[in-house]
Amino acid sequence: MLHIDELTFENEVLQSEKLVLVDFWAPWCGPCRMIGPILEEIAKEFNLKVVQVNTDENPNLATFYGIRSIPTLMLFKKGQRVDTVIGAVPKSILIHTINKYL
Amino acid sequence: MSSFDAMKKFAQSYAKMSQTVFCEDLSITLTVIEGLARHKDEYGAPLCPCRHYQSKKTEVMAAYWNCPCVPMRERKECHCMLFLQPDNEFAGQTCTLDP
Repeated sequence: MLHIDELTFENEVLQSEKLVLVDFWAPWCGPCRMIGPILEEIAKEFNLKVVQVNTDENPNLATFYGIRSIPTLMLFKKGQRVDTVIGAVPKSILIHTINKYL
Repeated sequence: MSSFDAMKKFAQSYAKMSQTVFCEDLSITLTVIEGLARHKDEYGAPLCPCRHYQSKKTEVMAAYWNCPCVPMRERKECHCMLFLQPDNEFAGQTCTLDP
Protein backbone atom coordinates (compact mmCIF):
# COMPACT_ATOMS: atom_id res chain seq x y z
CA MET A 1 0.00 0.00 0.00
CA LEU A 2 1.15 3.46 -0.86
CA HIS A 3 2.34 5.63 2.05
CA ILE A 4 1.22 9.22 1.74
CA ASP A 5 2.57 12.26 3.52
CA GLU A 6 1.69 15.92 3.75
CA LEU A 7 3.51 16.64 0.50
CA THR A 8 1.97 13.87 -1.60
CA PHE A 9 -1.58 13.96 -0.23
CA GLU A 10 -2.83 16.55 -2.69
CA ASN A 11 -1.61 14.64 -5.73
CA GLU A 12 -2.27 11.09 -4.67
CA VAL A 13 -5.59 11.62 -2.89
CA LEU A 14 -7.28 14.88 -3.82
CA GLN A 15 -6.32 14.78 -7.51
CA SER A 16 -6.95 11.05 -7.93
CA GLU A 17 -9.26 9.92 -10.72
CA LYS A 18 -10.14 6.83 -8.71
CA LEU A 19 -11.99 6.54 -5.42
CA VAL A 20 -9.38 6.67 -2.62
CA LEU A 21 -9.51 4.97 0.78
CA VAL A 22 -7.15 6.67 3.22
CA ASP A 23 -6.11 4.72 6.31
CA PHE A 24 -4.97 7.08 9.08
CA TRP A 25 -2.89 4.82 11.31
CA ALA A 26 -0.16 4.88 13.96
CA PRO A 27 2.68 2.42 14.47
CA TRP A 28 1.75 1.20 17.98
CA CYS A 29 -1.99 1.01 17.48
CA GLY A 30 -3.22 -2.58 17.79
CA PRO A 31 -6.48 -2.27 15.81
CA CYS A 32 -4.52 -0.63 12.96
CA ARG A 33 -2.57 -3.88 12.62
CA MET A 34 -5.78 -5.88 12.57
CA ILE A 35 -7.24 -3.89 9.74
CA GLY A 36 -4.06 -3.95 7.61
CA PRO A 37 -4.65 -7.35 5.93
CA ILE A 38 -8.30 -6.44 5.24
CA LEU A 39 -7.20 -3.27 3.45
CA GLU A 40 -4.67 -5.25 1.39
CA GLU A 41 -7.51 -7.53 0.25
CA ILE A 42 -9.80 -4.61 -0.54
CA ALA A 43 -7.06 -2.93 -2.58
CA LYS A 44 -6.89 -6.06 -4.77
CA GLU A 45 -10.61 -6.76 -5.01
CA PHE A 46 -11.99 -3.28 -5.76
CA ASN A 47 -11.33 -0.61 -8.31
CA LEU A 48 -10.07 1.93 -5.81
CA LYS A 49 -6.83 3.20 -4.46
CA VAL A 50 -5.88 2.39 -0.86
CA VAL A 51 -3.26 4.58 0.81
CA GLN A 52 -1.92 5.02 4.33
CA VAL A 53 -1.08 8.10 6.38
CA ASN A 54 1.09 7.69 9.48
CA THR A 55 -0.47 10.16 11.92
CA ASP A 56 2.68 10.35 14.06
CA GLU A 57 4.70 11.47 11.05
CA ASN A 58 1.98 13.67 9.56
CA PRO A 59 0.29 15.31 12.55
CA ASN A 60 -0.89 18.38 10.62
CA LEU A 61 -2.72 16.27 8.07
CA ALA A 62 -4.34 14.20 10.82
CA THR A 63 -5.38 17.31 12.71
CA PHE A 64 -6.72 18.96 9.54
CA TYR A 65 -9.01 15.98 8.93
CA GLY A 66 -10.08 15.88 12.56
CA ILE A 67 -8.62 12.47 13.34
CA ARG A 68 -9.18 11.38 16.94
CA SER A 69 -9.58 7.63 17.21
CA ILE A 70 -7.12 5.51 15.21
CA PRO A 71 -7.53 3.78 12.84
CA THR A 72 -9.80 6.17 10.96
CA LEU A 73 -10.59 5.34 7.35
CA MET A 74 -11.72 8.08 4.99
CA LEU A 75 -13.07 7.80 1.48
CA PHE A 76 -12.27 10.54 -1.03
CA LYS A 77 -14.05 10.93 -4.32
CA LYS A 78 -12.99 13.60 -6.79
CA GLY A 79 -11.11 15.48 -4.11
CA GLN A 80 -13.98 15.44 -1.62
CA ARG A 81 -14.22 13.45 1.56
CA VAL A 82 -17.40 11.44 1.20
CA ASP A 83 -17.35 9.03 4.15
CA THR A 84 -15.51 8.11 7.34
CA VAL A 85 -15.26 4.80 9.18
CA ILE A 86 -13.75 4.75 12.66
CA GLY A 87 -12.03 1.77 14.27
CA ALA A 88 -11.24 -1.78 13.19
CA VAL A 89 -14.52 -2.77 11.57
CA PRO A 90 -15.37 -6.05 9.80
CA LYS A 91 -14.60 -6.29 6.09
CA SER A 92 -18.32 -6.49 5.23
CA ILE A 93 -18.95 -3.04 6.69
CA LEU A 94 -16.07 -1.57 4.70
CA ILE A 95 -17.31 -3.17 1.50
CA HIS A 96 -20.81 -1.83 2.12
CA THR A 97 -19.42 1.69 2.56
CA ILE A 98 -17.12 1.48 -0.49
CA ASN A 99 -19.91 0.19 -2.72
CA LYS A 100 -21.92 3.34 -2.08
CA TYR A 101 -19.31 5.38 -3.95
CA LEU A 102 -17.96 3.12 -6.69
CA MET B 1 12.29 -2.99 35.17
CA SER B 2 11.81 -1.58 31.65
CA SER B 3 8.69 0.43 30.87
CA PHE B 4 7.58 -2.38 28.57
CA ASP B 5 7.77 -4.93 31.40
CA ALA B 6 6.08 -2.50 33.78
CA MET B 7 3.21 -1.93 31.32
CA LYS B 8 2.92 -5.66 30.73
CA LYS B 9 2.58 -6.20 34.45
CA PHE B 10 0.04 -3.37 34.72
CA ALA B 11 -2.02 -4.71 31.79
CA GLN B 12 -2.28 -8.15 33.34
CA SER B 13 -3.29 -6.93 36.77
CA TYR B 14 -5.74 -4.36 35.35
CA ALA B 15 -7.37 -6.95 33.07
CA LYS B 16 -7.80 -9.27 36.03
CA MET B 17 -9.20 -6.52 38.24
CA SER B 18 -11.61 -5.22 35.57
CA GLN B 19 -12.64 -8.75 34.55
CA THR B 20 -11.61 -8.18 30.96
CA VAL B 21 -9.46 -10.34 28.68
CA PHE B 22 -6.83 -9.78 26.02
CA CYS B 23 -7.37 -10.08 22.29
CA GLU B 24 -7.27 -13.58 20.81
CA ASP B 25 -4.27 -12.35 18.80
CA LEU B 26 -1.76 -11.46 21.51
CA SER B 27 0.48 -9.63 19.03
CA ILE B 28 -2.21 -6.91 19.03
CA THR B 29 -2.02 -6.76 22.84
CA LEU B 30 1.78 -6.55 22.82
CA THR B 31 1.75 -3.83 20.14
CA VAL B 32 -0.48 -1.66 22.31
CA ILE B 33 1.65 -2.34 25.40
CA GLU B 34 4.76 -1.30 23.45
CA GLY B 35 2.98 1.92 22.41
CA LEU B 36 1.99 2.66 26.02
CA ALA B 37 5.57 2.01 27.21
CA ARG B 38 6.99 4.36 24.56
CA HIS B 39 4.61 7.13 25.58
CA LYS B 40 5.52 6.56 29.22
CA ASP B 41 9.23 6.88 28.40
CA GLU B 42 8.79 9.89 26.19
CA TYR B 43 6.01 11.85 27.91
CA GLY B 44 5.91 10.44 31.43
CA ALA B 45 2.52 8.70 31.17
CA PRO B 46 1.09 5.77 29.18
CA LEU B 47 -1.02 7.83 26.78
CA CYS B 48 -3.29 5.72 24.55
CA PRO B 49 -1.46 4.91 21.29
CA CYS B 50 -4.73 4.59 19.35
CA ARG B 51 -5.59 8.29 19.26
CA HIS B 52 -4.25 11.29 17.42
CA TYR B 53 -3.46 14.29 19.61
CA GLN B 54 -2.60 17.84 18.70
CA SER B 55 -0.09 17.80 21.52
CA LYS B 56 0.85 14.60 23.35
CA LYS B 57 2.45 16.66 26.10
CA THR B 58 -0.80 18.52 26.80
CA GLU B 59 -2.87 15.33 26.62
CA VAL B 60 -0.66 13.59 29.17
CA MET B 61 -1.35 16.46 31.58
CA ALA B 62 -5.09 16.36 30.86
CA ALA B 63 -4.89 12.64 31.79
CA TYR B 64 -8.17 11.65 30.08
CA TRP B 65 -6.42 9.28 27.65
CA ASN B 66 -3.73 8.04 30.02
CA CYS B 67 -4.19 4.28 30.34
CA PRO B 68 -6.50 3.14 31.83
CA CYS B 69 -8.42 5.97 30.18
CA VAL B 70 -11.68 7.45 31.46
CA PRO B 71 -13.94 5.45 29.06
CA MET B 72 -12.24 2.24 30.26
CA ARG B 73 -12.54 3.13 33.92
CA GLU B 74 -16.15 4.23 33.58
CA ARG B 75 -17.59 1.85 30.99
CA LYS B 76 -14.89 -0.74 30.22
CA GLU B 77 -14.52 0.70 26.73
CA CYS B 78 -11.04 0.24 25.27
CA HIS B 79 -11.07 1.13 21.57
CA CYS B 80 -7.39 0.17 21.45
CA MET B 81 -8.50 -3.44 22.06
CA LEU B 82 -6.11 -3.99 24.95
CA PHE B 83 -8.88 -4.79 27.43
CA LEU B 84 -11.85 -6.60 25.92
CA GLN B 85 -15.09 -7.66 27.50
CA PRO B 86 -15.33 -11.47 27.32
CA ASP B 87 -18.25 -11.31 24.86
CA ASN B 88 -16.31 -9.18 22.34
CA GLU B 89 -15.91 -10.97 19.00
CA PHE B 90 -12.11 -10.58 19.22
CA ALA B 91 -11.83 -11.63 22.87
CA GLY B 92 -9.35 -14.33 23.76
CA GLN B 93 -9.45 -16.61 26.78
CA THR B 94 -6.83 -15.08 28.96
CA CYS B 95 -5.66 -12.05 30.91
CA THR B 96 -2.12 -13.33 31.30
CA LEU B 97 0.73 -12.87 28.85
CA ASP B 98 3.41 -15.26 30.00
CA PRO B 99 3.06 -18.98 29.36
